[in-house]
Amino acid sequence: MTGLGIALAAAMLVAALVVSDSLGLGFDRAAHAAHLPDVIVRFDLQDTARVRERIAALPDVAAYTVRQEVTGAGFETAGNFADNGAVEIVGRGRRGYAIVGGRDVSGRPGEVVVERGLAAAWGLKLGGTLDIDGLGDERIVGFSESPDNVSYPLAVPRVYVSEAAVYGAGRAPRVNLADIWLRDPRNLDEVLVQARSTSYGLRGVRFVTRSGVRVLLDQAAGIVIDLLVALSLIALATAAAMLAASARAEVQRRLRGIGVRRAVGASRGYLVSVQALEAAFVAAPAATIGALGGLLATYGPTTRLLVLLNEPAPGSALAPALAGAWLGAVAIPVLAAAWPAWRAAGRPPVALLRGAELSGGARGRARSGRGPAIPRAGLTVLGARLAGAHRVRLVATAATLGFSTAFVLLMLALASALSSLETDPGALGRRYQLTANLPASAAAHVRSIAGVQAAAPRYEAGAVDSFSLGETIDVIAYPGDHTIFEAPPLVSGARLHGAHEAEVGLGLAQALGLTPGSTLAIELASGPELRLRVAGVVSSLDHDGRIAYVPAQAMLAADPGTADGAQLAVRLKPGASASAVSAALGPSATPATGAVGRGVPLVAVLRSILRAVAIVDGLVCLYALIQACALIVQERRRTVSVLRAFGAGPSAVRRLLSGAVIALVAPAALLGILLERALLGPALAHLAASYVTLSLGASGTEIAVVLAGLVLAGAVAVAWVARQIARESVIAGLGAS
Amino acid sequence: MPVLEARGIAKTLGAGRAQRRILDGVDLEVQAGEVVAVLGRSGSGKSTLLHLLGGLDSPDAGRIVLAGQELTAQTPRALAKMRLRHVGFVFQSFHLIEELSGEENVLLPARLPGAGRDGERRARRLISELGLSEIAGRRPHELSGGEQQRLAIARALVNDPELVLADEPTGNLDRENGATVLALLRNLRRRAVVIVTHEPEAAAIADRVLHLQDGRLLADDGRLSAEGARLRTARVLRESA
Repeated sequence: MTGLGIALAAAMLVAALVVSDSLGLGFDRAAHAAHLPDVIVRFDLQDTARVRERIAALPDVAAYTVRQEVTGAGFETAGNFADNGAVEIVGRGRRGYAIVGGRDVSGRPGEVVVERGLAAAWGLKLGGTLDIDGLGDERIVGFSESPDNVSYPLAVPRVYVSEAAVYGAGRAPRVNLADIWLRDPRNLDEVLVQARSTSYGLRGVRFVTRSGVRVLLDQAAGIVIDLLVALSLIALATAAAMLAASARAEVQRRLRGIGVRRAVGASRGYLVSVQALEAAFVAAPAATIGALGGLLATYGPTTRLLVLLNEPAPGSALAPALAGAWLGAVAIPVLAAAWPAWRAAGRPPVALLRGAELSGGARGRARSGRGPAIPRAGLTVLGARLAGAHRVRLVATAATLGFSTAFVLLMLALASALSSLETDPGALGRRYQLTANLPASAAAHVRSIAGVQAAAPRYEAGAVDSFSLGETIDVIAYPGDHTIFEAPPLVSGARLHGAHEAEVGLGLAQALGLTPGSTLAIELASGPELRLRVAGVVSSLDHDGRIAYVPAQAMLAADPGTADGAQLAVRLKPGASASAVSAALGPSATPATGAVGRGVPLVAVLRSILRAVAIVDGLVCLYALIQACALIVQERRRTVSVLRAFGAGPSAVRRLLSGAVIALVAPAALLGILLERALLGPALAHLAASYVTLSLGASGTEIAVVLAGLVLAGAVAVAWVARQIARESVIAGLGAS
Repeated sequence: MPVLEARGIAKTLGAGRAQRRILDGVDLEVQAGEVVAVLGRSGSGKSTLLHLLGGLDSPDAGRIVLAGQELTAQTPRALAKMRLRHVGFVFQSFHLIEELSGEENVLLPARLPGAGRDGERRARRLISELGLSEIAGRRPHELSGGEQQRLAIARALVNDPELVLADEPTGNLDRENGATVLALLRNLRRRAVVIVTHEPEAAAIADRVLHLQDGRLLADDGRLSAEGARLRTARVLRESA
């Protein structure tokens, strides 16, 4: 059991290290390797010379490159196809991406560098070919990684070809992307203001800054890191508490032996070193196994996550931290064993030879006076009292179990939230179930289809804010009341009513400092500007909360072209069959989805990590229960033997142990539920996305599942320890001091 | 019919060079109402014999019959049931449970699964009869050794066993308390009592005194008991044949 505890603690510690190091430092590693620019500017195709002229006018620029990015390109290999690819035509100068396999494009025709995420998803190999629309079969010469965006399939597939290969000896005549490196990144804000003012004539300008990318990634990674670090600390504290108690019991058992050795002249240091050495013999292999287990459990999923985030795996950079974790996992049990030996060896040998207790045991702590009458379930109550004899340990173990319960509940709530985001349109506040690629004029016909409650055109357009740079906004409009189709919860203010009002998402409100009554000024992607009064702020997961609901007439007045891309949103009557309505609408109908599409790899990877953490957490619970029971039995060996001498059979022993388990599990379950619902759930919901109100409180079913798991773990602990007791001689226990 | 009957009990302890035949053909019969004292030096095997008689351990050879049932043929589960219904133990160190009051300690065997129904009533009567009412609500560490041992005796009797086995019951008591405890054991009506001790005072209250010496039980006059002599002769003849 001691070895298992050390192994579990080491596994948790290493798991936390792998995930925190990978996600916490991954961006910096990737940015350093890719030589990521401080600002990436995208704009509509412009004359190259004109763009260079504008950038050259900016202050503090250390270097820059311009290139053409072709979007919507078709990529094809055997069995894979995408029609939304991005081809970046790179020239001389800095790249802004790292080559993580093979080499960069050389300028010879027919070569392509493929983003690692795309290569991993499609199983592309170096030397293989990728068919790119307009370029033909290109030979894959390298794989790239750049953390300016997440990777395929979370984002569009991206490849790089050389300017020389496309345009021969000349340069691209027109470009739409610029990478800018600053001499001093602290001047970024001033440069952006300057860039905005000098970008007149450039249309569709969008800025992405290195610090902005980092903040977004840190937000997401921070949650997982915080969780894992907390869990590993709990596991480590549990193991340390149990090991200390176990070591104390072991030293207590050996008191006479220690006394004899002290009596014949053994030094205190010698006795302590013997005890420490014995602990090290157990701890070293257990910590090694645990560390390897933790590494195996988390390195794979984390690496897959990093590929999606366009970040490198930590590799050998993790070695010093892992070595430190291993040393910690060995040192703690060694110290836990050495300390009681040090205390014992400091006592007079004559006291040790008498087998005096190391410190006040149950005798010293037992309450005086008349005890309560023993209830009917005598053995169960006795078991609970035995567990309560060491109150500090009872509290520590119950707290450990409580925290573990809370974390498992949180994992389940998170998994439910992920599933909901994946499949439930309601997670976005959407009330329509279908969309149809039909003109607005078809709305009246669609409303007449059986099962349809409402149908209206839904206009959607991209925009940037006119004041603060770099923020992109998703603008949505319906003719009339949009809450019939989309009603994200209102956080403050009111719903929009007039033609000059808007509702904004909390993410956008936070980014731009908008409140009800302030002015939202946005520039639609096609150029025209819209100025609307903010009527209310809504909580929406869509587009990270950077969303605005505006009246259709305002949007269409500003840009009539938006009507071309409109879809019909179709809301069904309660109980109506979506498939029947879909059939009536024909091939133009598409079911509405959640915040992320079904089967998105990020969700799958997150689920893998959650599952691994929950399993290790469950094992920690089981270990804590078994070890707590085993310790009670070890320390109260004589009590158990007296009961057995008087005829207590296996069922009586199980009843006794059940009492101890109940004393531990009952407060732990209560603590766990309260912690999750009152503290962890709300805290994580806030961390997860400040722009939306996510419900991460565990449901009744989830609580029931976790309670059943605790009961099962308790039953396993009781059965395991009862079996160990049955194997021991009653006489040996009666003679135990 | 005797409450306890042991025939040809042999037991070897230790291993290798430390192996020692600690009991070598022990025979013993104890009738209801009889008090038998087994005396012997420290390490002579008295406690081992008591453990075998109480079904806490199994002999290497021989048979033990308790209340008409042979112990040596029982499973551990059945042995536990036999102890619960037919045997009461009194230990030198009392072995009361610190978390429980004196009364709770007395009641505990009666609360074990399979115990008879009258446990509580009997416990209260015993507490009263043994003069423990005043101290029954106290925890063991608040009591004197004599009080603890009297509670331990009440605990041994709570399931109304036919056999009471006492292992050095006065070993941790002063002379006065020791005498009180021995008087109690002497007055356990209808029950068979086996006391193992190295204190001669215990012999004074016994109906029969046996000495455990070189693995054999000898009568008070230093001779083997009649059954022991018969069995030993048979074994010697067998070995020489």
